[in-house]
Amino acid sequence: MNSLKTVGHPTSRIDAQKRVTGTATYTGDLRLPGMLYARVLRSPHPHARIKRIDLSKAQALPGVKTILTHENCDVIWGSGDMRNKRYLFNNPVRFVGDAVAAVAAVDRHTAEEATGLIEVEYEKLPFVLDPEDALKTGAVEIQPGGNLSTNARGQHEPETYRRGNIETGFAAADRVFEDQYSSPHINNAQLEPRVAIAQWDGDHLTVFTPTQGISNCHTEIARDLKLAPEKVRVVCQFMGGGFGNKNQNHDFELMAAILAKNAGAPVKIEFTRKEDFLSVHGRWPTKQYYKIGVRNDGTLTAIQLRGYSGMGPYRKGTGGIAGIEIYQCPHVERMVSPVYTNKAVSANLRGPDYPQGVFGLESLMDDIAASLKMDPLEFRLKNMTRKFQDQTPYTSIGLEDCLRKGAEAFEWKQRWRAPGEKTGPVRRGVGVAMGSFGSNLGRSSAVIDVDSHGMYHVHVGVTDIGTAAKTTMALIAAEELGVGLDKIDLISGDTDRCPYSVGESGSRTTVQTGMAVVQAAKELKEQIAEKGLPPGNDVLTATVNLNPPALNGQARVSFVAHFAEVEIDIEMGHVKVTKYVAAHDSGRVVNPLTAESQVKGGATMGIGMALHEELLYDRASGLPLTAGYYGARIMTHLDTPEVDVLWIQTDDPYGPFGAKTLGEPTIIPSPAAVANAIYNAIGKRVKDLPITRDKVLGVLA
Amino acid sequence: MKISRRKFVEGTGGGLVATTVPLQAQTAAEPPKTTIKITVNGTVHRIEVEDRWTLAEVLRDHLGLTGSKIGCDRGECGACTVLLDGKNVYSCSQLAVWADGRTVQTVEGLAQNGKLDPLQEAFIEHDGPQCGFCTSGQLMSAKALLNRHPHPDRDQVRHAMTGNICRCGNYNHYVESVLAAAGTLSADARRKA
Amino acid sequence: MRSFVNVNPRDWKDAVGKLRQLNAVPAGGGSDLLGMIKEHLVEPDVLVHLKAVKGADVISWMTKPRGMFVGGLVTLEELSSFDPVRKNYTVLAEAAESVATPQIRNVGTLAGNICQRPWCWYYRNGFPCFKAGGKQCFSITGENQFHAIFGGGPSFIVHPSDTAPALLALDAQISIMGPSGTRQVPAAEFFALPSVDAARENVLAKDEVVAAVRLPDAKPNMRSTYNKVMDRETWTHAVVSAAIVLEMDQQVCKSARIVLGGVAPIPWRLPKVEALLAGQRITPELAAQAGELALEGANPLAKNRYKIPLTKAVVRRTLLGLAEKA
Repeated sequence: MNSLKTVGHPTSRIDAQKRVTGTATYTGDLRLPGMLYARVLRSPHPHARIKRIDLSKAQALPGVKTILTHENCDVIWGSGDMRNKRYLFNNPVRFVGDAVAAVAAVDRHTAEEATGLIEVEYEKLPFVLDPEDALKTGAVEIQPGGNLSTNARGQHEPETYRRGNIETGFAAADRVFEDQYSSPHINNAQLEPRVAIAQWDGDHLTVFTPTQGISNCHTEIARDLKLAPEKVRVVCQFMGGGFGNKNQNHDFELMAAILAKNAGAPVKIEFTRKEDFLSVHGRWPTKQYYKIGVRNDGTLTAIQLRGYSGMGPYRKGTGGIAGIEIYQCPHVERMVSPVYTNKAVSANLRGPDYPQGVFGLESLMDDIAASLKMDPLEFRLKNMTRKFQDQTPYTSIGLEDCLRKGAEAFEWKQRWRAPGEKTGPVRRGVGVAMGSFGSNLGRSSAVIDVDSHGMYHVHVGVTDIGTAAKTTMALIAAEELGVGLDKIDLISGDTDRCPYSVGESGSRTTVQTGMAVVQAAKELKEQIAEKGLPPGNDVLTATVNLNPPALNGQARVSFVAHFAEVEIDIEMGHVKVTKYVAAHDSGRVVNPLTAESQVKGGATMGIGMALHEELLYDRASGLPLTAGYYGARIMTHLDTPEVDVLWIQTDDPYGPFGAKTLGEPTIIPSPAAVANAIYNAIGKRVKDLPITRDKVLGVLA
Repeated sequence: MKISRRKFVEGTGGGLVATTVPLQAQTAAEPPKTTIKITVNGTVHRIEVEDRWTLAEVLRDHLGLTGSKIGCDRGECGACTVLLDGKNVYSCSQLAVWADGRTVQTVEGLAQNGKLDPLQEAFIEHDGPQCGFCTSGQLMSAKALLNRHPHPDRDQVRHAMTGNICRCGNYNHYVESVLAAAGTLSADARRKA
Repeated sequence: MRSFVNVNPRDWKDAVGKLRQLNAVPAGGGSDLLGMIKEHLVEPDVLVHLKAVKGADVISWMTKPRGMFVGGLVTLEELSSFDPVRKNYTVLAEAAESVATPQIRNVGTLAGNICQRPWCWYYRNGFPCFKAGGKQCFSITGENQFHAIFGGGPSFIVHPSDTAPALLALDAQISIMGPSGTRQVPAAEFFALPSVDAARENVLAKDEVVAAVRLPDAKPNMRSTYNKVMDRETWTHAVVSAAIVLEMDQQVCKSARIVLGGVAPIPWRLPKVEALLAGQRITPELAAQAGELALEGANPLAKNRYKIPLTKAVVRRTLLGLAEKA
């Protein structure tokens, strides 16, 4: 791969100075004149009908300005549910944390006190927590029409994918393996809790909110409040993470806007950490049943998945369970049922369909390799995908190198022994898992101005959730323009000043917005060649709304292989990750410094998913028990091993300088790699995430 | 100890009725206030605070120092870490009145005369912050460590900073940054900018 | 937060007087208290800021009787880094050091740590259980992975303190300050089983505070340690822990004190195991026997059976490790 001037070199974040001096302004840091504070009252029940709400005591509290409930607000939050009507305030309330009222007051203590003075009479309804229970006859109906959420064609049927004929596949197998796995609801748990400020200026609304996508947030706020788009502005200069739960608009942004309108003052609405855990969304819990057919030489003949995803009571996410695409196999059947439950809502969390699906799949593949007495690495090299869904060529594929070179860096051959061979009170084991994630091209926009000083102002609709998107866009612009980074002024995070961007989700920003930046830079260079730099206060502008080129019947995908070593004290059931290598094919890496941070971060998150995190519910009452950083046992400094990153930079002809997706592949194989390492160490498998001490001791007993 | 304000009616079957019991309104009197004297980043402030205000709240909302962040307000994440008389503490879990007569250092007080602290330089060079929300807290815990142990090893750094959560998971780079600032990062790991 | 007034008492008498006010609570480091107020688990009108009491954080050797005086408001950080405590009462230093994080240890106090309310997730999530003054324990038929295997009933919480088992193992005396002055209570009598009063974990009356802890004289041949098992490498309450103090005579254990944390509503002393060890060389076999004996009478719940083999291993290993120390 050819070397470039700016792209591909480790570069500090262009806004790092602000982040390390406390001068980066996050939404919660903003204070506007006359600003009110709002808090939300939430359902303490998993499922209940609201019979009566008495606001009188709350309204009488000095300092309380205005209150919203379902009785005076029937606004629908379109992005909150892609199948059913989801209001800002629903009746019945369908999960612990469902909004019941929003109060705006002169300060947050008054707002909080007011929520405590609202009297609500509930009629408790039966509730159901697990997707399979929700599908049983007699289960309470959470949404009209039944608890199996409809597919894209409006049918109450599982989302299905098939190729070949699954029965033919099993018939062709020498051996058929079956097993089942489960994963819990876990939370994004980004450090910045939810907050939004709404401010009206006449009929013009500005919303300050930490969003991953100012463009879609803007469009959706306008839609839900029935405003003309030009009357809405969304601003986010800095935000403290999201991992998928800060994309699109949110109900509390709409609540803030309506409260502000009613009160005639700006309103800042703030979440507690518990609210952030319960009332936004997290990763859908799953139950996965796999049946896999294989020949004696290890060749796969059939993969079947029957899966169930708990979506909470609103369909905000796909509920998909992915991972099968990483394998080559002629006969595949996947039937996944997204099911309504009365737990917290489920939607996007880093690689939404993937890490839990890869955990289940790679666990069984690992067992199969063991049964056939094959090195699990060899099994994967044999069966890894060569074409997308066995038919569409990839634009580039570095999966084999991820496996081989990753294994080499990890010293796989030296460290691997057959599972369960170890003896002694402390046993080491190694595991591998692979993954893939789409890197599609897509529509995005960029605007670049140049002024008389030769300073380039790059306008992109990014907010930088921590991925260093601002820096990445600046590097891409600098490279294409042929100038140094110091000539780039990046303007982001404001719909008044920035064009459309898809939003920092699906790991699409580098590829899609990056391509728009490249195109805008090309066009600007042409203008400069033609006219020279503009005089005085003039600027030359290139505006690009890029509809990307077709991929010519190819699939564009990033690939990854993670290797984990664990050390298990078998008497204590204590699992410690002692070595970790992450090998990534993301095409050309735009900024190796910040990209490395992404990989280490994703791997760390994956280890936490493997060993610790779960939103546990009390079954009798339907109440959550572990919301919060302590309850979720989020990874700390002392839990985190050294993670080594290996770049397999394939030469991909598409994307900005050949860059492919990066942010989400980083977590995809991580829980599976750790689970496989545990199995390798002790010869026994835990099939329910998280793999906690009691479960390890349980399988060893 | 008072009972939780949620009351559940015992019973079987559907149609159970539950009413949230409202808290007693505290409207009768003004919230108790105290005037405190607190030195923040070298500047002495005399300020009237409500007794219930946390140190984090006073710093952020009343002294304009929003560099310290509130991640959980429960002492479970560390984003609000400041130095109180030189010791790193969760400012969300300290009342402002308890800091009366004492000294506070926040992230805004790290740079001296416009020059960044070596820790801040190292965080930039070694890519400590991703989303940046935990960064102020990580810096203050690191500062407390280096004030006491100017040349820590990797293990000491991890132990000293373990009260600061980073959900972006950038722990490796934070540790590397602190070792670099302390001059104890081994040569082969040193990053070329 | 709900509003309250903070009062700074001058001395212990003043502190106790202020505590007798309606709805007043003591505040030490404040970390746990503020969290509980924010969660509406407690709703005080008055916070009595004990750190204002002069001399409440003194830590020094005593001569009459010989031993160490530790003021109740000594922070966990001070306790764990004070050289005489590290050398002579290692179990207490290690226990203090194992609590939470540096930020919490910098403000958290010894008194606050031993008086800490349970971390049972039912209690902390506002369930109307015994600990909240109610009439039920939700863990019995619920999620009881972390609950008691000894001494439970009618509440099955485990005592959340790390320093408490250490103090018991050291035969410490708790100095309780009340309206009529100080009374000394042996640590073993300070903590109360739920069968005594399910709503409380210790014998403190509403207007009493832990003013100090007195440690008996450290014998030169005494060695001790605290071993804490956590889910996550740090910053969690003990799943199981062991505080062990051994009085050695060359290779022979003259006497032992073994107290477990994380297994019962009070720090759980193991007198039978102590008797087994008295006068014996602690060999791997004897340590294993001790581990087995430690679990005699254990009553696991549906989801915490794993604590049994875990506790055996913790007792065995901690004992052997301590005995084999040079």
